[in-house]
Amino acid sequence: MDSIRNFCIIAHIDHGKSTLADRLIQSCGAVEERQFRDQILDSMDIERERGITIKSNTVTLLYDSPDGNRYTLNLIDTPGHVDFSHEVRRSLMSCEGALLLVDASQGVEAQTVANLYLALEYDLEILPLINKIDLPSADVEHAREEISEDLGLDPYEAVLCSAKRGTGIEDVLEAVIHKLPPPTGDPRAQLQALIFDAQYDPYRGVVMICRVKEGRLRPGQRIRLMHSDKEYQVEEVGYLQLRRVKTDELAAGSVGYVIAGIKTVRDIAIGDTITDAESPADEPLPGYKEAKPVVFSSIYPMSTDDYEDLTTALDKLALNDAALTFEKDSSAALGFGFRCGFLGLLHLDVVQERLKREYDLALILSAPSVRYQITLNSGEEIAVDNPTLYPDPSQIDSATEPYIKASIMMPERYIGVVMELCREKRGLNTTFNYLAVGRVELTAELPLAEVLFDFYDKLKTVTQGYGSFDYEMLDYRSTDLVKVDILVNGEPVDALSQLVHRDMARARAMRYCERLEETIPRQQFKIAIQGAIGGQIIARTTINAYRKDVTAKCYGGDITRKRKLLEKQREGKKRMKVVGSVEIPQSAFMAVLRSDDKK
Amino acid sequence: MSSFNGPGLYIHVPFCRRICPYCDFSVLTGDRSWQSRYVRHLLLEIDLSTGSGWPDLIHEPPRQPFDTIYFGGGTPSMLRPEDLGTILAALRDQLPVRDDAWLFLEANPEDVTLEAATTWRQMGFRTISLGVQSFAEQHLSFLGRQHTPRTARQSLDNAISAGFDTVAMDLIYGLPGQTPTDWRRDLDAALAAQPHHLSCYQLTVHPRTPFGFRRQRGELAEMENDEQAELFLMTHRLLEEGGLPGYEVSSFAAGPEHHSLHNQKYWTHTPYLGLGPSAHSFAQRRRWWNPRKIKAWMAPLAEGRSPIESGEELGLQSLVLESLMLGLRTYAGVDFDTLPGGTGQRLWEENEATIDRLVERGLATAERSCLRPTLRGLAIADTVARSLDLDCLREESP
Ligand SMILES: Nc1nc2c(ncn2[C@@H]2O[C@H](COP(=O)(O)OP(=O)(O)OP(=O)(O)O)[C@@H](O)[C@H]2O)c(=O)[nH]1
Ligand code: SF4
Ligand SMILES: [Mg+2]
Repeated sequence: MDSIRNFCIIAHIDHGKSTLADRLIQSCGAVEERQFRDQILDSMDIERERGITIKSNTVTLLYDSPDGNRYTLNLIDTPGHVDFSHEVRRSLMSCEGALLLVDASQGVEAQTVANLYLALEYDLEILPLINKIDLPSADVEHAREEISEDLGLDPYEAVLCSAKRGTGIEDVLEAVIHKLPPPTGDPRAQLQALIFDAQYDPYRGVVMICRVKEGRLRPGQRIRLMHSDKEYQVEEVGYLQLRRVKTDELAAGSVGYVIAGIKTVRDIAIGDTITDAESPADEPLPGYKEAKPVVFSSIYPMSTDDYEDLTTALDKLALNDAALTFEKDSSAALGFGFRCGFLGLLHLDVVQERLKREYDLALILSAPSVRYQITLNSGEEIAVDNPTLYPDPSQIDSATEPYIKASIMMPERYIGVVMELCREKRGLNTTFNYLAVGRVELTAELPLAEVLFDFYDKLKTVTQGYGSFDYEMLDYRSTDLVKVDILVNGEPVDALSQLVHRDMARARAMRYCERLEETIPRQQFKIAIQGAIGGQIIARTTINAYRKDVTAKCYGGDITRKRKLLEKQREGKKRMKVVGSVEIPQSAFMAVLRSDDKK
Repeated sequence: MSSFNGPGLYIHVPFCRRICPYCDFSVLTGDRSWQSRYVRHLLLEIDLSTGSGWPDLIHEPPRQPFDTIYFGGGTPSMLRPEDLGTILAALRDQLPVRDDAWLFLEANPEDVTLEAATTWRQMGFRTISLGVQSFAEQHLSFLGRQHTPRTARQSLDNAISAGFDTVAMDLIYGLPGQTPTDWRRDLDAALAAQPHHLSCYQLTVHPRTPFGFRRQRGELAEMENDEQAELFLMTHRLLEEGGLPGYEVSSFAAGPEHHSLHNQKYWTHTPYLGLGPSAHSFAQRRRWWNPRKIKAWMAPLAEGRSPIESGEELGLQSLVLESLMLGLRTYAGVDFDTLPGGTGQRLWEENEATIDRLVERGLATAERSCLRPTLRGLAIADTVARSLDLDCLREESP
């Protein structure tokens, strides 16, 4: 066991974790050169397209040290974006050590600190690394200073490297085996293995990724999941070496996968403990703190027939994305769906994208909402994240909403417009800091709800793409909340209701009305579209009746074409949602609920 | 008139002197040698059809003989009269064609000299249909037409003098920038020329035509829907007052005896046989067609094979949908009792609420089993057809 090291790489976004993982993988010869590609652990299409890590990824490496020994290194690459910090948390629990990367040109940043605290929470040994020393703008001394002052770590322990150039990689590997502790645990003790990730394999069922803390896991063994209290027989165990590699056993200290013929995804929970069914451990391992969603949205299948598929897809996705929460929801306009909770907008975006790509589902998402805390006149406190569950206003005493601390970096010429944007978004306590020549960091306290609506796109537009945005959750503050309903010919469209600050209500309602006006096709009659708070109309538009819709010619060859078109339109009509006898195409919901200003 | 309820014949003549920028028909600018190759191959196609006229895919050919022959295009008037004569003779010789079959000829004004018109008349053509398109110089040039307003008027006079039973004329409206006054002037000019039949087509910009590309580049702005509607309603009202009441979305006639016998076959699922490139045929719920490209049409014929490219068999639902969509384009509307497969009553019941709403909104009138569009309903005939629910026919096989 002394020859095993379990560690993860943590850092702020883009500091080079995945690139460092690449170099470590290559140094250990775990992949043939011709199969190698950059950021090889970022295996999902979305990760590759966006150039960011979304999921933690585990790989087992064999390292032959100059000291003559062979070490097994279980490395976990983690994401840097704050929306995915639950992935970091999951990874930390199966490690004894962490490599904390600092970009030599950027220095310590928000997630560097946040991830360090996380790692300390789990009592991990931390090894600081200063990466990207090849950059002309690298300032190693400055990075050292920050490591000492902001992180409280020994700056002279820090290993210098360039993951991109491959310099210092030997030093990193040597530091891993000499500075990070080997796992503890007893292979003869009762089995305790922590499930920290899972995948779904269409042929083999659930593939659990686990860290064996005590005892051993072997094929043929009967195992029990201690929380769900389900029993299975192990079919196969092995290591993750970029693909699954079978082995005879996983003993205490190891990280690997277990296949046990599990087809029901719901039976598996990340954080559960595997033990031996015949001679079980007394206690499960401590599980995870549940990730707390902060952004909520309802997901509906475009076609109501796909509801079952959506259910299965969410089950499977949740297996692989432990932070996703969901429960049944339904809308008069859109049918059955799920109210889902996310750790942030990027998380929401990724889930939606994965449902589309990996499960081939066409979806409609309701406008993202935050969770409001509402005190009723009765004194009862409730949390509301779904406009349809908003209580009667006359019963509400007060409400609070979550704030974030936003930190925006940009070239200084944009400071004026960005401050204006923050003001529009009800920002408070805006401060700014001139950093290096020409760059400014602005911090502001913003209601998260305003960030969810249109903020990123506006920021991108006003800074012409040069603004970067980072945030952390702050606290709940009192707010003046109203529920804005959208009515089509007098009938409310429940999926379009929203909770907004009173000051923003009119503009938001108008925007929705206009989007609907653009996307609902003209019909046989005039359509009134209104935004309302309770009975009070605050915005309105109309769509005039269709007055001409007939093709000029319909002779021999035109008939088939014309009929096919009609047939197609009828099919489309079936997928339209009818509210107050108005046919609303899905595209209208999508256009309205999309937050950007694309037209 | 009712005696003309047998099958019709359509001959596609794919030649034009110049291709109009809005045209999406199967046409080419072929010289004389192309024309004679075309005629040769058309005769081969007629040969193949010898007998009933109908291809094998129709196992029980209609028993009635053909009672209309329509030369459309393209520009059939470009064919030499000898060629027309040869084709007609072959048709009469080899297919069951009624002696008094009604003959139609589409013609471009520049071809219609008094002499030519007289010849055609003598060959037995009874309806001549003139592609006038407009009486305004600037609109003619926008549409890429070669004749002048003068030629147009002259051609009408010649056709009338030649003694055709029905002198018909086509106009196009709804051009970008065309005002109601512009269009009204055109209509007045048309009425003054006293044709028996008038077709007024609103300009449709098809993709992959010069107009389509211009639209794509943003150089051609189609008329706003409301303005189009305005012109549409105005057209129907003015022509009614002018003695040419409408009977279909784009068709107007001085009396029922001038309604297009041939076009009505298309609208009522009466069998028709089409010969020539791109020609469509229909019988027994089946529709089939020839390739659009002249070469693709000629190649199989040269080897003695049928040029049919593909076809479809209409299920009951499709058939009914067509009946509705075609019927709702006519003033007469749809008589549900005559819908295919005796489905009318059930459909009416299923759609009672929809029909009530159409009537309420002033888009149609409902009388016993007849659903008739109002003028406003006619303007949105496609929408009206779409609003009827045919799901109850889904299960039934053809
Ligand atoms: N110049 C230089 N660039 C580097 C170095 N290491 C990484 N990069 C670049 O930095 C960018 C981000 O690298 P990644 O490895 O994807 O960063 P990450 O920390 O995994 O990012 P997330 O997973 O999204 O948090 C890429 O463009 C890398 O090529 C380095 O040592 N030097
Ligand atoms: S005359 Fe008719 S068929 Fe010929 S090119 Fe013009 S529109 Fe097309
Ligand atoms: Mg990464």
